[in-house]
Amino acid sequence: MLSTIAIESLKRRKTTAILTLLSITISISLLLCVDIIRTQVKTSFTRTVSGVDLIVGAPSGQLNLLLSSVFNIGTPTKGIEYKSIAALQSNKQVSWLIPLSLGDTHRGFRVVGTTNSFFDHFKYGDMQSLEMAAGSTFTQPLSTVIGADIAKSLGYKVGDKIIISHGLGSVSFNNHDDHPFTISGIVKKTGTPVDKAVYVTLQGLEEAHTGPKHSPTSMLGRKSADKANEHEHEHEHEHEHEHDEHTKEHAVYNSEAFTPESVSVVMLGLKHRVTALQLQYQINQSKKEPLMAILPGMALAELWQIMGNVESLLLGLSGLIVICALIGLATMLLATMRERYQEIAVLRTIGAGPFTLLLLIQIEAMLLTIVSAALSLGLVAGLMSALKPWLSSTYGLFLSSPLFGQSSVIIILLILGCTYLVSLFPAVAAYRRGLHAGLNANS
Amino acid sequence: MNTINKKNSTHSQRNAVSEEHNAVNKGRNTAIEVSNLQFSYTKESPPIVDIKAWQVSQGEHVFLSGPSGSGKSTLLNLLCGTLTPTQGDIALLAQPFSALSNRQRDKFRARNIGVVFQQFNLIPYLSVAQNINAAVYFASTNVSKTASDAKLRHLLDKLQLPSHVLHAKADALSIGQQQRVAIARALINDPQLLIVDEPTSALDTDARDSFMSLLKDVAGESTMIFVSHDKAMESYFDRHCSMSELNPSTNHIKTRGDEATKAQERA
Repeated sequence: MLSTIAIESLKRRKTTAILTLLSITISISLLLCVDIIRTQVKTSFTRTVSGVDLIVGAPSGQLNLLLSSVFNIGTPTKGIEYKSIAALQSNKQVSWLIPLSLGDTHRGFRVVGTTNSFFDHFKYGDMQSLEMAAGSTFTQPLSTVIGADIAKSLGYKVGDKIIISHGLGSVSFNNHDDHPFTISGIVKKTGTPVDKAVYVTLQGLEEAHTGPKHSPTSMLGRKSADKANEHEHEHEHEHEHEHDEHTKEHAVYNSEAFTPESVSVVMLGLKHRVTALQLQYQINQSKKEPLMAILPGMALAELWQIMGNVESLLLGLSGLIVICALIGLATMLLATMRERYQEIAVLRTIGAGPFTLLLLIQIEAMLLTIVSAALSLGLVAGLMSALKPWLSSTYGLFLSSPLFGQSSVIIILLILGCTYLVSLFPAVAAYRRGLHAGLNANS
Repeated sequence: MNTINKKNSTHSQRNAVSEEHNAVNKGRNTAIEVSNLQFSYTKESPPIVDIKAWQVSQGEHVFLSGPSGSGKSTLLNLLCGTLTPTQGDIALLAQPFSALSNRQRDKFRARNIGVVFQQFNLIPYLSVAQNINAAVYFASTNVSKTASDAKLRHLLDKLQLPSHVLHAKADALSIGQQQRVAIARALINDPQLLIVDEPTSALDTDARDSFMSLLKDVAGESTMIFVSHDKAMESYFDRHCSMSELNPSTNHIKTRGDEATKAQERA
């Protein structure tokens, strides 16, 4: 009965109730958004690098190296020479090695030059390997494997031909039109930046930039065009061979056999993870070529540390906005108290105690907040669903389920607790009024 | 000397009223028994209500009259338990009502006392059914919903209210309909005591007579305290009590009225 009275009372004051509801809904939505972005960024980033022990690149900031190599965010670092890669490959501690060559795009999606070792060794999430939704890994130098999101959004299928563009802009005037890549496979959806990347062979990437020259095995020592970060490609596309010739030459294609002079970064998997720090030290001390090795976990920890203050600030501000909205709720209820003297008197005379009146006001406040919280959950879920493609393409943030976690539950419980506290002001006013409300209700 | 004479005269009048009442109601149980009752809004102010002794028998219909500021509403609030006596005792239906805790008094009121105001009887945003069912809810009786609905329909019939008003919002009804709904709400829990505070002041003579007939009819054997300025209504009741006799310390009528208003505003 009390909830019926509370609902009808709010319906009676629907204009003020709706405005209050809106302000609380917006403030809770804001707080939930900040919390979701915060937690999803961590989840998204952590699940992307689960299998990589070390990332090696040219010396720069460790965050820049991590973001450009794994998350396809920012500008790739300067390349590292093949001799350094060969030295890493021969290191006894190294189990596998994935070379990555960055700097090109296809219709706004990042193009990554690599070898089949990427599909063999790269792991995401809970140490899950990449799987093919269709087709296979690289079958010839001008093969490409695309992420699930690209296949879906651009409608590509195995066998289609795509052209890559020079540079990182979404619109490029420098397309490698003479070297179309044939899609050999589509990777199953991973919820990581892999879904939005185009993987091509290192050899194909180089041919796109410099034109085909020799067979892969004779490539050692050849000048590589892979200096994507510097954007200093020599675009001398002397395409002497037709695409079909490549397929004839490489019936069984060994993408690792090609030896570029340099790549942007190298991901390393170690035989024993405990040696990661030792190897990192060795690589960082390398005198042949200045290199930088980073532990993805530590780089992420640094990222969280930097973001921690911003996170706290955003959460704090959003929390304050919620408190302001709740104070608005209490003010609305207090302001209506004078016009409620009659109903308080009536309720008292039919047997409602002052405590019941206190409870009634609190139920009204709680109802508004609960409805606001429900609306906020719906609003945020809809918003995140709508912004999902934009967040992943612009910020490399891949939203994963469940969207609302333990922190969202805690936030909503805290908001309900705050509602209980702020609603005490109008509730106590009703209680005090109830103590003296009598027959002369109009006084 | 004059003052002493006045006091003696008042005392003898009260005794006469009491004796007359005892003679009429010999053998009936007492519904209301007030002794040495005093009430003031502040410690410093003189009491607004000061009643040495007053009794109402069960089933008796009492007409209570008095000028503004004579303490009528305050007395009714004391009888309802929404105000607590500063001094003295109130016993209702053989229960030491003023000695009960606030919570017990609220429950007692919900179950045993039906109240009809002068106006603003209903919660405007609730439907007629919700207004009446609220009284059932607060009484927390073990009456089933079916029995309660049947009782409600019976009351509506008696009060000549069409059944479709049940779903109408209270503020969509006419004043007359609102008053009849208020009576239905006051009687839904079969209260033994009915307190009615100037319900006819907004009605013309015909409507007033019709209302009174209806009220007397539905009140049945409930004890009723009916407050009004209009002494012409005395004929409907078993007994007439004047506040000037019941609450004789009327030296500060004006002051008391103002003080009561101020005290309530402060509260």
